[in-house]
Amino acid sequence: MTSLSSIGPTTSVRGNVHGDGDLEILGRVEGSVAVTGDVTIGEGALIQSDVRGRRVTVRGAVAGNVSGEEAVLLEAGARVVGDLGAPQIGIRPGALVRGNVSTGAPLPAASPGRAEAAAPARAHTPTPRAAPAPAATRRPAPAAAPPPRPAPAPRFAPAPRPAPVARPAPPPAPIAEARSTAAEPAPSVAPSVAPSIAEERAASAGGPPPPVVPAIRKGARAAVRKKGGR
Amino acid sequence: MAGTIIGSGLTVEGEVTSDEDVVVTGTVRGKLTVEGAVTIDAGAHVEADIAAGSLQVGGSVTGNVAAGDRVDILAGGRLVGDVKSSRLTIADGASFKGNVDMDV
Repeated sequence: MTSLSSIGPTTSVRGNVHGDGDLEILGRVEGSVAVTGDVTIGEGALIQSDVRGRRVTVRGAVAGNVSGEEAVLLEAGARVVGDLGAPQIGIRPGALVRGNVSTGAPLPAASPGRAEAAAPARAHTPTPRAAPAPAATRRPAPAAAPPPRPAPAPRFAPAPRPAPVARPAPPPAPIAEARSTAAEPAPSVAPSVAPSIAEERAASAGGPPPPVVPAIRKGARAAVRKKGGR
Repeated sequence: MAGTIIGSGLTVEGEVTSDEDVVVTGTVRGKLTVEGAVTIDAGAHVEADIAAGSLQVGGSVTGNVAAGDRVDILAGGRLVGDVKSSRLTIADGASFKGNVDMDV
């Protein structure tokens, strides 16, 4: 007989909950929940782990992946930080999700791409080399990070562009020196900072954004000469 | 409705803490700390130290037991472990192995 199990609102479980039958959670669970029947996570409940069930209905908070053999339904008030996986997924207005949502199949038992997945991976490879291996795989990750860096670089590109525009202004400025002194410090600061950052980024990224950097250097040199001239 | 029910077929491995009544018909391994009444139904299997307001054992319990009010071992119940409670009843047909401390 599969009976209804319930974890009351003042009850907290630190550990795993698994087995057959339906489960209603109104309290706290810190540990995995895996049930063959339906799982209802009520309002005020807090689950800090993965949840697996046939049909999983969430009205409370879950910090972990939610996987359903048949369906996952997030009611209004649900808060899920983690991935959702089930053949059917329903997210009602008022429910909050942060994570990947994939319909079609429940999430695999060892959820990939999470810290929890790292532990089983180490368990499967009992040799002590397993620990360095993930570290080695993590090191390339920072190296792979630079691709995003070219994206910030274009942000600095607009900064030098005002500088060339400002440069035409100084030629008339010598005529009115009082105005030029007020106008120049502002552009001179921006290019002097911008190239230094851009060079660092270019050096670390390996491939500098070619047209932008020379333009900055020219502006910077001009600014320095003007300063030195005076 | 009872606050917490660990139904048959369900297994909890770890620490369970509650302020309300707890009914166990399934399996609990670890520790059970409850303010209210704990009922271990027939067929339940508990391998845990239990601290409760009161305790009824109809199933199998292995572990030390402490109750603020009373401990009742029902017929068919099985308790292996020490009992610390001011009141204790052991029904005919119950099995019990352990020390008893009744705060005398």
